[in-house]
Amino acid sequence: MEDHDILLKFQDPASRNLAFNQLVRKYQSKVYWHVRKMVIDHDDADDLTQDVFIKVWKHLENFRQDAALFTWIYRIATNECLNFLSSKRRKFLLPLTDVGAELAAKIEADPALAGDEIELKLQQAILRLPDKQRLVFNLRYYDEMPYEQMAEVTGTSVGALKASYHHAVKKVEEYVTRNTAD
Amino acid sequence: MKPSFKLDEHPRRPRPLLSEPPAGYFDQLPMRVMARLPQAEAREAATGWGWLARLSPALRTGLASVAVLGGFAASFYLSGPQAAGPAGVAATSLDAVPRTELVGYLLTSGARVDNSDLVVLTAADPNLTDDFLHASEAELTEALDAQPSEDPTYL
Repeated sequence: MEDHDILLKFQDPASRNLAFNQLVRKYQSKVYWHVRKMVIDHDDADDLTQDVFIKVWKHLENFRQDAALFTWIYRIATNECLNFLSSKRRKFLLPLTDVGAELAAKIEADPALAGDEIELKLQQAILRLPDKQRLVFNLRYYDEMPYEQMAEVTGTSVGALKASYHHAVKKVEEYVTRNTAD
Repeated sequence: MKPSFKLDEHPRRPRPLLSEPPAGYFDQLPMRVMARLPQAEAREAATGWGWLARLSPALRTGLASVAVLGGFAASFYLSGPQAAGPAGVAATSLDAVPRTELVGYLLTSGARVDNSDLVVLTAADPNLTDDFLHASEAELTEALDAQPSEDPTYL
């Protein structure tokens, strides 16, 4: 179902639940993996993904359609992730690097990465980036999102996003080079 | 020398190599989300009063003050004329009745206006009874003295 049809059906109380169910089915995988890349842990990603869709439900009536529906959902998901990570730091009084180390430990324990040293180091390097730079890296490198759309999601200028991604790539390459065996 | 790692030369994946969510996760997720949605009544209530919640706290306080003051003003406006109305009408109607007829009614009806009431009225203000009661000073004094002493009104 197209976004336009989903939004039309959502306006009608009789078909609202059906339309929202379609919306969740359409975007659940993208939202989940966007969140999962940021918080790494499946249970955290599961909770946050549900929270994202609850927020979408609450505010969809006021969605003005001056952005694509998915860009708007992505923005909600991004804010949820950044709030989650920053509240985690505040709650446990952890510095930036400790949360990165915690996420890196989860990556190391993930069986999917066993035996792939370069991929493991790459993930560790990505997790050492500050949250917002990591977000920019994920959107560009994994999702291959155009900078203009990234600007809508993050509320940052295209120029700033390009610079942030360039620096992120440099940091990642240096870390992997330094930490892999010859 | 160790070769430097180049991200462009590394095989790009659509996402990091993380373990997949449990089997059937995406089949169940929509149901779990739908089960957590706010109740319909709450949504309707929020729709009805949502505009109030979206106002700034200062504006909400101002609006509440205006509502309270408006309520006072409305109740004052509505109660004033209505309370005064029936009494005013009654007074106007009584003015149209000749005084002798009024006195005759009071003396013959069950209102029980007797001599003692008239004497007390004359003692309070002789002008009130000038038109219809022509009693001497001695008669008035006698009637006043005849008031029962056990009546608490005069004790």
